[in-house]
Parts: sequence; structure tokens; C-alpha cells
Amino acid sequence: MNLRNIAVVGFAQAPIVACDEHRTAQEMLYPQVRRALADCRVERSDIDYQVAGSSDYIDGRPFGFVAALDVMGAWPPVQDLHLEMDAAFAAYYAWLRMQAGDCDTAIVCGYGKVSEGDPPRLLNLRLDPYYQAPIGLDGVSTAALQASAYMKRNAVSDGDLATIAANNRAAGARNSDAQLREAVGADQLAKTPWAVAPLRQGYLPPRGESAVCLVLAAEGKAERMCARPAWIQGTDQRAELQSLGARDLARSHGTQLATERALAMAGIARAADLDVIEVSAANPAEELILRNAMDLQSGIGLEPASGPAINPSGGPICGHPLMMTGLIRLGEAFRQIAGCAGEHQVSEARSAIAHATSGHCLQQNLVMVLGAERRWS
Amino acid sequence: MKRPVAVVGVGQTQHSARRADVSIPGLVREAVDRALLDAGLEHKDIDAVVIGKAPDQLEGVMQPEQFLVGALGAHLKPMIRVHTAGSVGASTALTAMTHVASGLFDRVLTVAFEKQSEGNAMWALSPTLPFTPPLVAGAGGFFAPYCRAYIKKTGAPPHIGPLTAVSARDNAGRNEYAHLREPISLDDVMNSPFLWEPIRYLETCPSSDGAIALVVASEEAARKGPRQPAWIKSGYSYAEAMWVPGRDQVSPLAGRACAKAVYDKAGITDPWNQIDTAEIYVPFAWFEAMWLENLGFCDVGEGWKIIDRGEQKFGAHLPINPSGGVLASNPIGASGMLRLGEAALQMMGRAGAHQVEGAKTALGHAYGGGAQYFAMWIVGSEA
Repeated sequence: MNLRNIAVVGFAQAPIVACDEHRTAQEMLYPQVRRALADCRVERSDIDYQVAGSSDYIDGRPFGFVAALDVMGAWPPVQDLHLEMDAAFAAYYAWLRMQAGDCDTAIVCGYGKVSEGDPPRLLNLRLDPYYQAPIGLDGVSTAALQASAYMKRNAVSDGDLATIAANNRAAGARNSDAQLREAVGADQLAKTPWAVAPLRQGYLPPRGESAVCLVLAAEGKAERMCARPAWIQGTDQRAELQSLGARDLARSHGTQLATERALAMAGIARAADLDVIEVSAANPAEELILRNAMDLQSGIGLEPASGPAINPSGGPICGHPLMMTGLIRLGEAFRQIAGCAGEHQVSEARSAIAHATSGHCLQQNLVMVLGAERRWS
Repeated sequence: MKRPVAVVGVGQTQHSARRADVSIPGLVREAVDRALLDAGLEHKDIDAVVIGKAPDQLEGVMQPEQFLVGALGAHLKPMIRVHTAGSVGASTALTAMTHVASGLFDRVLTVAFEKQSEGNAMWALSPTLPFTPPLVAGAGGFFAPYCRAYIKKTGAPPHIGPLTAVSARDNAGRNEYAHLREPISLDDVMNSPFLWEPIRYLETCPSSDGAIALVVASEEAARKGPRQPAWIKSGYSYAEAMWVPGRDQVSPLAGRACAKAVYDKAGITDPWNQIDTAEIYVPFAWFEAMWLENLGFCDVGEGWKIIDRGEQKFGAHLPINPSGGVLASNPIGASGMLRLGEAALQMMGRAGAHQVEGAKTALGHAYGGGAQYFAMWIVGSEA
């Protein structure tokens, strides 16, 4: 199938912080929209479509996203959509919308301030209200169940998780947008108290918030907006049943399927052939499960000797702003291919996978393959 | 659009104040099963699922699409969850349309629902807005000033809202799925109390439980189906900022821009004469007159006269909301898709007792936010 060549051409992110005391979510977003457009040397009126991802529950009120229309620049009126999902899914949909025609450019925004609410309580409400939510499960306890299932199946130890977390922390120290910017050794992380066993506090991100704007453009315009666009070569996403007992928590079937489909669309044989992988792994067990799903290693070797750099940004372990974590992965993939990742630049990165997730325990997964080259002639 | 798209299946639930007989997944599944049956398809034939609903606070479940994956038949399929306030049902259907138009999906199931009896709609519809003291007066309290402004601007007489309500209820009597079907008289409406002046109790939409599902498909897939499809001629969603000095809230620019976009693409230059029926989003009776103007069916100040002359009634020149519309059934998240789905049913010739005879072109419309979000499509009976 011959599709349109569409690229990520701009990305602006507010550094992730525990709490931006002086700004609303919309005030945090506005400078990102302006900066992303300025980097692309375009005006808001040059953008054909806008789509955002956010959560009313995180905003603490119904219709919270309506207030973002003003800062995204919806005057005069614009073509618009809002998804109640991680904003990476908004980027996926913007790409589809551009494939459908009469739309060459789009901005994709993510925002939300978790500091104004109580994330464990919110994430409890994301479980089914009849069987799972009443038990009192939250985001960390469901993740711990998944980590246990994976560790038991694959003979992974607490020390292995500490090593993965330490790798992310070392990478995060080089990323000026990360929330945790201090390298901490595995030994030290392995001494932190349990959050919920087998996950220790040192393996998990703190609460963090940000605001993100990404710019997409089709061939013909992308080249004028960015010196080194990151072309979307393939993408796919898959949902799975929520019930924790209904799926094999030790693996991510959806990520595996989405990766296979996205790579096939990109005409690439293996994820291991790419330069950078940015995954929405909010704990070390999730990273291992996602690596397995992408067939990035045969065994459980923790640091592949060769192959792609995994989460050179420090990943969600160093900063996990809900509803934006996935879009930041896509932005990081862009930064690497565009050569503007600063201190955490992977040298000569020309291809990447960005992964996003929604729901508990990697329930829904999105994979996007990007490269320095156009996919379709 | 890159390629033609059609609606090949429509399924809706019985809408009522409280569907105590079903859970949230049960309600959704009722619509999904009916849409698939209607399209002659099974879950395995569906390439992707697009679901929409209004604020999660209405039922108290965050991102409920995640626990509804089973009810939607979305396991190991692509799924998208849309939320654009009151317009969401319509923008969700348009999102599904885009999936097919992109060339990447042949058959997409799209679903919209609300089970308002699970929560407190008055509370969930009383958001705190920036720079504004909390109204705590629901959507009616928010929109009553818009209606007052319309009346003041156009000099519309006070019986126009009530006339609209009578006509909507008369239409709902012919729709077996509608929530409120009992006939009402002009006196009944005029004598019902003001909830938010000028909006009376009987000029107000109900709070409903309900769901609707559509199957949209490529031309090739549509031609294989058992039924006459509804061909989507055009579909767009537009939004506008809230805090713009001088913004016209009575006839918002985004509504006019969206209508122009769908008309231009569908080749409509004279909507009053080229469109045979329209399903438009009228949660409070006065909005019917307001939207007739905003949608370009008449000049500014003329909308109420169409209603006064009865030209929007069933069997008249331009039947508006032959299903009874939002004034008869309002599961909020589903209401927009009900408008687009009902417009499609008319084109498929299967609207039953409320079928508009000989209708070949229909408009489906929804709005949301502070009259900021608009989503519309034009459907036709011929490809």
C-alpha cells in the first residue's frame, strides 16, 4: 500500500516537575505550542488540524480539555479533535487524518496536572467498577502483580530490576527535560523500601507533570519546517481485555502484534535493527516485558551488547506525566533522528521506535516506527 | 476524503431514564450486537473500534473504554476513545469515518454511550470554568443566557420554544427507541415551570441511559453488505476558543465554518432546498431556531419563523429531528452519534414510522462545550 509520507517536524516539552505551582495546565501548554510552531518557522494559521490527549479526571473536572482550545489557538475556528487517551494516540490519529486527505499539517498536544489530584485514587477508578476497582487496586499494585508474573516466569531477580532502573537513572541524568536527573546505582536503588513488592520505590517514577506539543507535516511541507524530519514509516496499535485474570500478564501480546504490524508497514525485519527504542515503561519489569514483545533480546540479558539504545532519555522511570508519557516517547524519537537530543543524543541515530500505552498493565499499546528516510516513493 | 465511506449498520438501545436491566458493558453490547446484526457482520470482520462518550465523571469510571474492551469486541484490535463534550457522539463517528477514508481499515465499528443513571448529571454538567464563578446550574443554566440573547436579538415570540418541544415529542411518538414518547400540547409546555428562564421543564432534554453503534465501511465492503448503505458525502469537526471578546455565542463561527465545510464538500449550495431532512442537536428547545440560522437554512432572525410556520415538522418542507431528537432522548455521549445515525437510517430507508418519504440527502449535526465544538456529516442515499 502506498501511503503519504508524514513526519514529526517539531516538538516542545515543558521540563517534567513534581508540581508547577504557578501555572495551570493550559498556561504550561501555551509556551510549548508557541515554541513548537516557532521551531518549525510557521504560524498557527499554517496548521490544518489539531488534536489533543488529556483526561478529565486528571484535570479534576468534567470538560477540562475545553480550556485548552484557547491556548492551542482555536481562533478563528479550526478543525479539531480531543481524545481521552495518552496524547501519543492523538498523534496516531492525526497521522490517520492526514492519510485521509485535505490536511497537510497538524499539532498534537498533551497536558494535565497530576499535582492537583490523587493519582492512585484516579487510577483505581480506571479499573472496572464491578470486580476490580472495589478491591482497592491502583496503578502501582496492578503493576506489581504484573512484575511478579513476569519475574516468576523468567527467573528475573530484584537485582535485575535494580539494574534496569539504574540504567534509566543514568540516562535521565543527561536529559534536561527529565524529572529525576541524578544517576543512582543499582545497589542503592535495591535498598529503597517496597512500594508494592516486588516493586521498590527506587524503581518507580515520582509524580510528575508537563505539557507537550508535537508538530506533524506531510511531504512537501515537512522539509520546509524541519531540516531533519523524522518520517513515520509504520504504525499500529492494539487494545486488550482489561481483566487482570483474562490475559497473560507476563507478556504483552498487544505490543508484540503492534510491533510486528508497524515493522511490516515500515518494511523493516526486526526492531533490533533500529537505533533507538523509547518505550512507555513506568517500571523495570514493564521495560523487560516490552523488550520481549519487541523481540529485542533472546534471553533476559539486561544490557544488550549491541543493538538499539533503549530509553536514552531516561524513560518514564525518570519522568512520567500521565497522558503525555507516550507522546514524549514520540518526541524523543524525533529528537534523536533530528539530531537535537542534546546531551542524551545517540550518535548517528537514524531510526527509532516510539511506544505508548494506555490502561493498567500495558493494556493498550501503540508502536510507531520512525526514520530519517521517507518510506513511500 | 481519499476514498468513499458508507454507513452499513446501525444499532441503538432502548433509551430510558434508568436501564436498571443492564450494566454499562451490557448497555454498550446491546447497541454493538444490533449494529453488527444490521450490517450482517461479526466481530471478526471488524478492523478497528472507535468509542466516544462525554465526561468520565458521568459514570465515575476513568477511561471506561479500557474495561469495555470485551463488550466492544476490541480485544487485539486498534481502539480510539474520543471526547469532545456534547458533540462527542458525532465526532466519534467522524473519527471512524476517517479510519476507513485513510485506506487502512475496511470496516470500523463505532460506538457511543452514556449511562447517566450511574451518576449525577447535574453535577457532572456543572464544570468550573476559568475566570468564572461556579454556576452549579447544569447545562441548562449555562445555555439559558444564550437562548435569552437569541430572543432579544431576533424578537422571537415566547411560544417558539414550546412549539419546538411539541413538535419534537410528536416525532418521538413515531420512534420506538425514544425515551420520552407521550404527546404534549402547547399548553402543557407553556404551563410547565421555568427551570432556567426562558427554558421551561418541557423544553428541556431528559437525562437518559442509552447507546448507539454504527458500522462504517469502504465502498467495496459496503457493496457486499445486505442493505442499502448511507453514503457519507462529507464530514468535519470544528472547534473555537471560549474567551474571545465579541465571540458570537448565539451563532458561533465554528458552527458556520463546519456547515460550510460539509456543504462545500457535498456540493450543497442551497441547504434549505437541497437537504431533505436534518437531525440536529437541540438539548433545549430554543436551540432549534438558533441552529436553523447557524446552519444556513435561513437568514439570521428567520429561524423562529420557520418553526412558527411549522415548516420543520414531520411531513413539511424540511423535517427536523424526525426521531424526536435530543429533546426526546439524551444519553449525552451517544446523542451526537444518534443524530448522525438517524440521518444515516433515513438514507438507508429504514427509519420505520419516522421515515421521511423520498429523502435523498440528510444532515447530521451535534455541538458541545460552550457552543464551541461542532461535528457534522452529510449523508446520501446514492453513492
